[in-house]
Amino acid sequence: MDSMLKNMRRALSGIRALELAEIWAGPFCGVLLGDMGAEVIKVEAVQRIARGPIKPAPVSHGYPDMDPGDRPWNRSAGFNGVNRNKKGITLDLTRPAGVRLFKELVSVSDVVFTNYAFGVMDRFGLGYEELKKVKPDIIALFTPGYGNTGPYRTFRSMGMVIDAITGHTALRGYPDMDLSRNSLVHHPDAVAAVSAMFGICMAIRNRARTGRGQFIDLSQAESFMPHLGEVFMQYGLTGEVRERRGNGHPRMAPHGVYRCAGEDQWAAISVRSDEEWSEMCDVMGMPQLARNPNFGALDARLRNRDELDDIIGRWTRELGRYEVAESLQARGIPAGPVLDCGGDTYDDPHLQERGYFQAVEHPEAGVHLYSGPIWKMANRPEPRHDPTPGLGEHNDWALGELLGVGDGTLVELEMQNIIGSAPLEGADMGGVRRAAELRRQNSA
Amino acid sequence: MPQVALDGIRVLELSDGIAAPYCAKMFADYGADVVRVDSPDQPPASALDADNVERVALYLHLNANKRSVALDLESERGRSLLRDLALQCDLVVESMSPGVAQGLGIGYDTLSATRPDIVMTSVTPFGQTGPYRGWGYTELTVFAMTGAMNREGLPNRYPLKYGGEIAQYFAGTAAAGASMAALAGAAFSGIGDWIDLSIMEVMAGHPHQIGRRAPFAYSGEVDRRTEPRTSSAGGREPYAVGTFRCKDGYVSFLPLGSRMWPNISQMIGQPELQRDPRFLTSEDRSENRHELEEIFQSWLDAHTRMEVFDAAQKAGLPGGPVLRSHETVENEHFRSRGYFQDITHPVYGHLWHTGLPLILRGLPRNASSAAPERGANSAETLMEYVGLSEADIRELEESGVVRNG
Repeated sequence: MDSMLKNMRRALSGIRALELAEIWAGPFCGVLLGDMGAEVIKVEAVQRIARGPIKPAPVSHGYPDMDPGDRPWNRSAGFNGVNRNKKGITLDLTRPAGVRLFKELVSVSDVVFTNYAFGVMDRFGLGYEELKKVKPDIIALFTPGYGNTGPYRTFRSMGMVIDAITGHTALRGYPDMDLSRNSLVHHPDAVAAVSAMFGICMAIRNRARTGRGQFIDLSQAESFMPHLGEVFMQYGLTGEVRERRGNGHPRMAPHGVYRCAGEDQWAAISVRSDEEWSEMCDVMGMPQLARNPNFGALDARLRNRDELDDIIGRWTRELGRYEVAESLQARGIPAGPVLDCGGDTYDDPHLQERGYFQAVEHPEAGVHLYSGPIWKMANRPEPRHDPTPGLGEHNDWALGELLGVGDGTLVELEMQNIIGSAPLEGADMGGVRRAAELRRQNSA
Repeated sequence: MPQVALDGIRVLELSDGIAAPYCAKMFADYGADVVRVDSPDQPPASALDADNVERVALYLHLNANKRSVALDLESERGRSLLRDLALQCDLVVESMSPGVAQGLGIGYDTLSATRPDIVMTSVTPFGQTGPYRGWGYTELTVFAMTGAMNREGLPNRYPLKYGGEIAQYFAGTAAAGASMAALAGAAFSGIGDWIDLSIMEVMAGHPHQIGRRAPFAYSGEVDRRTEPRTSSAGGREPYAVGTFRCKDGYVSFLPLGSRMWPNISQMIGQPELQRDPRFLTSEDRSENRHELEEIFQSWLDAHTRMEVFDAAQKAGLPGGPVLRSHETVENEHFRSRGYFQDITHPVYGHLWHTGLPLILRGLPRNASSAAPERGANSAETLMEYVGLSEADIRELEESGVVRNG
């Protein structure tokens, strides 16, 4: 393709979306739409700030050089990490002036999406029917945990709880331990976000053909359940309810994570066939093991799994995790180092060569390496990566330039706290307030 | 009359594993015409024996609502039919090793020269470029490399994968989102794209992982495995965070910060604890968390999962039951939404399939069909898409290029 054409237009260029969302399920959908070129406007409020670290201070060091600064809400790593490619504005939607401005934005937008609890949009006077009055072909996606109908529609949920009710929690954890020792997993949030993006894009394509808008009912639980589809299907086929397996596999051995040289260093290994096992025995320098009746064939290895794991563990313990992975991959055996979300993934040569990380300057947090986008487009090779907006950073642009609200009115709106760029005294601030308090204590 | 959502979209699928077939399944479930290409010498997909129940279950799940064409891609004629099929499609989803599609004559450059609006989505464990592009994988080994595993499990034990095949499904969902966005874009601009999607990168770019990686970049903090019910496990009222034993199983909670302490004390029917000097502030409760944990646990021990669920909701607390898969299928809420779909399979009869990941209100649902046997739709598809005659099909069957049914 002509290089002039490349990068000119992204798939969702020209689409404007309004985001009313917190934590991950909503905001990550906004990230993906933004990555694809949509203009995403995140609407927050100075009365309620959801920009804090996920972990409470002082455990979290989630600020640049551990310094929350004067405006910690604009310097939170956890928040800045998951809100790229958006504009940020504030509006108090509990008051008519805020709702009026929101509706004006709807009239010049294509999409409204929210992960607020069921009923919140109605209480603002911004239910789908109201949005449709303003913009008949609006695409609206509402994603409460359990969806917009049914007996649980009003229930409070978080990813952790969706993980439980869909059956995933019961499928993970150490097989020899109680489920109450399980870690927190919020994976359904992410699935809902990506599914939401798929749904919105279906509706955009349909609107282009039919001129009609769309209400999308996304249940976070239901978008995740197909990811366990074969488990439900197996129950239907045989009546068998699958048990948790840890890292084990019913038809592969070895299949696990093995300790390597160094502190908390591990390599994952999966052997899919007797041929691969024989190759692995070679790599370990123990070719006789492949002919040992206790380990030669899959059924024997499954029976003697503990002993097998001990033998492999003795081999890996002397080696680096990359050394283990590379030596096995050289013979076509699936293996990989266990990487953390700290330096490990940043240092990984594969992610580096693929340009997975981008140095992005955030005006209040400085220059840092951020991850993503999560796929590459051959015709738009340059990733879009605008820094996460500060609170209310684009009020003047959105209300002034886009809607034509005059300067005098903007000042008035700010005096009434309909808009603003700093949390109000007494606002619900989550972790951000604790960080600010901690800073005051430390400097006192 | 409104049509099913993806009416008129044609998808060609050349895939193995889970991510690419699941991507195509999302299209099939909303009414796109998805043609899956299989090999004529593969054994039947749905012959059930004790060793392969899980494989069969997976095949039935991933391939409902699709067509299957069995083509010999080793033969020149098979490859030319593949090209003809691809050029009739809006989207090609493939999971072959980097370079293989080009070798088969369906590389993006080849297809887009004739069909500039075509979208090609390549779903591989590590992407089309980079040192790991030829690496083998399983769910376990690719999950290990994303950052998610290092945090899952206990500090003094080995790190754990999630249950099931989560990374591959998540990547498949992302592939569907990317493909749909590219198709919507192509509808405006006439120009498609080639999407290079790596399972490792999708899972590593998950908000949980990027929300952890940013703190490292900002201040050097590394997130590690932690004991449950400690504040570093991620909770602000740690004694009430995570998964707990109760009278008939387990329940999970995630209170949203200290403002939920009144909700917690209400739920367990002991609002007076709010005035207890041991538990006044969040610091007090953190300090005396073992006492609180005991109070909390003894209430849980006396209540069933559904009683706890009910009490949590009355108190406005995010909490719910840990269900096992058969209980999820039977759950009242999912039933009332008509979520699981009963689709009849010619061999196995009624089977419960998971339903749509999201509902486009007012649009009709796609008429559902069970997963086809490999090659079941070869003749009809080649006649419809490529314009072959019945005589052509017979000849192709005789020469082994096509298997029908």
